[in-house]
Amino acid sequence: MPPRNCALCHEARAILKRPKTGQQICRDCFFWVFETEVHNTITEAGLFKPGDRVAIGASGGKDSTVLAHVMKTLNDRYQYGLELFLLSIDEGITGYRDDSLETVKRNQQQYDMPLKILSYDELYGWTMDAIVSQVGKRNNCTFCGVFRRQALDRGASALHVDHIVTGHNADDIAETVLMNIMRGDIARLGRCTMICTQGEDTIKRSKPFKYAYEKEIVMYAYFKKLDYFSTECIYSPDAYRGHARAFLKDLEAARPSAIIDIIHSGEAFEVKEEIRATQKQQQTCKRCGYMSSNDLCKACTLLEGLERGIANAAITDRARKKLDAEGPAPENLRTIPFYQPSSTPNPALPVTIEGAHN
Amino acid sequence: MSCGNPTVETDALMPRKKKYDKTNECVRCKTSLGNIVIRHAVYCKECFFPLVTFKFRRALEPFVNAKPDGPRRTALKPKGNLLVGFSGGLGSTVLLDLVYRCYVSMDKSTMPAEGGKQHPRHERVWKKVSVCYVEVCDIFPGMKDRTPEVAQLVAQHDGLEFIPLRIQDAFDSSWWARAHSSPGRIDLGVDLTNEELFLNSVPSSTSSTPLESLRTFLASLPTATAMSSTINSLIRLLLLHTALDTGSSHLVLGSSLTSLAVSLISGVSQGRGFNVKEEMQEEWFPDRAPEPSSQREKRTGKGERSVRVIRPLRDVGRKECAAWAWWSGLRVLGRETWPWPGLKQDIGTLTKNFIFGLEKDYPSTVSTIVRTCTKVAPKGEASGICVLCARPIQAGIQEWKSRISIRSRSPGDAIDEKTPVGPSLASHLCYACHTTLTSTSSRPAPPFDATVTKSSLVALPVWVPPQFSEKEELFRTQKMGQEKMRNVVQDFLLDE
Ligand code: SF4
Ligand SMILES: [Zn+2]
Ligand SMILES: [Zn+2]
Ligand SMILES: [Zn+2]
Ligand SMILES: [Zn+2]
Repeated sequence: MPPRNCALCHEARAILKRPKTGQQICRDCFFWVFETEVHNTITEAGLFKPGDRVAIGASGGKDSTVLAHVMKTLNDRYQYGLELFLLSIDEGITGYRDDSLETVKRNQQQYDMPLKILSYDELYGWTMDAIVSQVGKRNNCTFCGVFRRQALDRGASALHVDHIVTGHNADDIAETVLMNIMRGDIARLGRCTMICTQGEDTIKRSKPFKYAYEKEIVMYAYFKKLDYFSTECIYSPDAYRGHARAFLKDLEAARPSAIIDIIHSGEAFEVKEEIRATQKQQQTCKRCGYMSSNDLCKACTLLEGLERGIANAAITDRARKKLDAEGPAPENLRTIPFYQPSSTPNPALPVTIEGAHN
Repeated sequence: MSCGNPTVETDALMPRKKKYDKTNECVRCKTSLGNIVIRHAVYCKECFFPLVTFKFRRALEPFVNAKPDGPRRTALKPKGNLLVGFSGGLGSTVLLDLVYRCYVSMDKSTMPAEGGKQHPRHERVWKKVSVCYVEVCDIFPGMKDRTPEVAQLVAQHDGLEFIPLRIQDAFDSSWWARAHSSPGRIDLGVDLTNEELFLNSVPSSTSSTPLESLRTFLASLPTATAMSSTINSLIRLLLLHTALDTGSSHLVLGSSLTSLAVSLISGVSQGRGFNVKEEMQEEWFPDRAPEPSSQREKRTGKGERSVRVIRPLRDVGRKECAAWAWWSGLRVLGRETWPWPGLKQDIGTLTKNFIFGLEKDYPSTVSTIVRTCTKVAPKGEASGICVLCARPIQAGIQEWKSRISIRSRSPGDAIDEKTPVGPSLASHLCYACHTTLTSTSSRPAPPFDATVTKSSLVALPVWVPPQFSEKEELFRTQKMGQEKMRNVVQDFLLDE
């Protein structure tokens, strides 16, 4: 085949086929189109205003490594006027986080962004390794997900940022749309395609990569020579999600636009008014102050279960009842430091930003 | 995120297959031994039939009268006749049996017990019941024609009219003329090589048969998924128009709970989220021009024609359908599998295999999918009705598409200078139909017949052109404009 010209600039030679559109384009146009689509996503949603302090949820994996690079690039190019931070969560999984935290530390230097690392151990008194040794490998991702979400918010509040951006990409979102339909999780189905979510008084979280294909994120990292760790977590996700993921990959292979088409579908419907009315109101957790739909937030419930040796308490209703039946939580129960989402530093959690500027 | 599992924030794990309760006793009569397990509950054979009949009636009868009127004692008085869409598959075989027993042969065992003989349910509901079968075998070389078998099966039921159609009728102006007593046209074509989908007239000199037009259309589609979903959509529209032609106010389809779940997920995967509601139940108003919904409401008059599409087996799973057919001794012809390797790359087929597999380990999945979809509503305004599939178009989808996936570096760049800028089909299509016609794959659809070649200008189905002439579409005015222009300039043209 003769060399083809780039479908976008019509000048340079096309060197890649865009996974998202199938267009054959040159390298520069790929960078341009990838970055511009993210910029469009950001501006269309009005995500930021000048002076915002924004934390990038950095795991050292491909998504957040590319996100840090693109956020820095766009912030400079379009003068968003953002103050950017890196925020990392250490789940305490041996051999998995250690390497990727090195990547994050390197990013901190390259991009000159302050970095905060917050560990499950320091916040909850439990590492994922310890949790898995108690609950086994069945519901571990439930613990991990709940704990990570709250840890990110707490880390952000320690950094005084208004906003956390995470590396969730289009594939993740499409998969979540399918999962929520199949599990009947109406509340999350309504939320999962939103670019930005904000609880009552928590920090805003958004997903600038919500329309970016995973394959293109890898491609971007490859051409920009960004290095990241692609170690798989040793505690792999649940089987059901595994099925959904394999299915999505098949759909993408059959027709690459499927990922965007699923997200479009998710954005094209909303939970019916009358059903929304019956959903639980948000309140704050009586024990730790974090937002919650019950008296106790999920993290506190899970933690109490762990501490009292009834680990599945928050996972099934039956186990929760058993926990309640055994009486109130003991006085000396280890709990999560009280959460104060405000502009004043959280006294329970000393801010120790790892020295970027010294 | 690197954990490869970034979106976990879940507390709801899927319930795995549960063993049914230890007892083998039927949960309904509590006396007989159970014969079938329906989602963890055991039923005996005697209790199974009333259960399925109840589910069938519950999904259909509240929607028979034009206005749903509260208490279920009111007589069922539909505006018109009934059309049964029949595919030969398990679901539609059970559907046909139920329709026949409940509304044609008036089988006593299917009647609700309460109310006695005087109960209005004991009167015939629809004056005329027709069964329509659309044969697709002419698309694929060597595929068996099932029409005679279907005709024979329908003939076993007295009082049913049989209407056999062929898929190429969608491109047949004489079929349209018969069904609508107005001349049909297939003179409008679309250029499938450009995302804008420019319209152009198909010269009448290239007279091809309806089958040739259909096969060229299918062969020119970009993916296997496009081909398969186009065939399904053509069948749906043929059924709708046939319902109109037979004076039917209701069209019933044999989608079971399982197949409804498949079509919902497959629809979502093809960008049909805005039409989730229609996928479950819809009402089609053929006289409404494809224009914004706000203007449409005003024209909703009393005598307006409409067809209500209902899936009365939407609460009955695949397994229950199979039990019904087996215990009733029904002959299930089965649907002929298309002799086409493209099915492996078809999103509809992939979804079916996925859901069927999942149903084995997680039996509540299919009902959860359907239940979830009843809880959502389309978001935002509709900007019109899709000229291909007759479903509402969400406003702003073209802008959305171009913002999310940039396809050119400067505005207007997409339009090649050489291409004549004509009216475009894109803005008259729903998201899914536009995707069907334009979205490509590095694995193009394998040909279904090597003798059919792609074409850059393909004729559109016979229901598309009338929607443009009604609207005094640009297309006509543009052709006029060309002539007018010549009139203006011709005095300045030199003889060659
Ligand atoms: S796979 Fe599960 S346990 Fe491992 S990091 Fe991800 S959420 Fe945590
Ligand atoms: Zn280029
Ligand atoms: Zn709490
Ligand atoms: Zn019984
Ligand atoms: Zn359509």
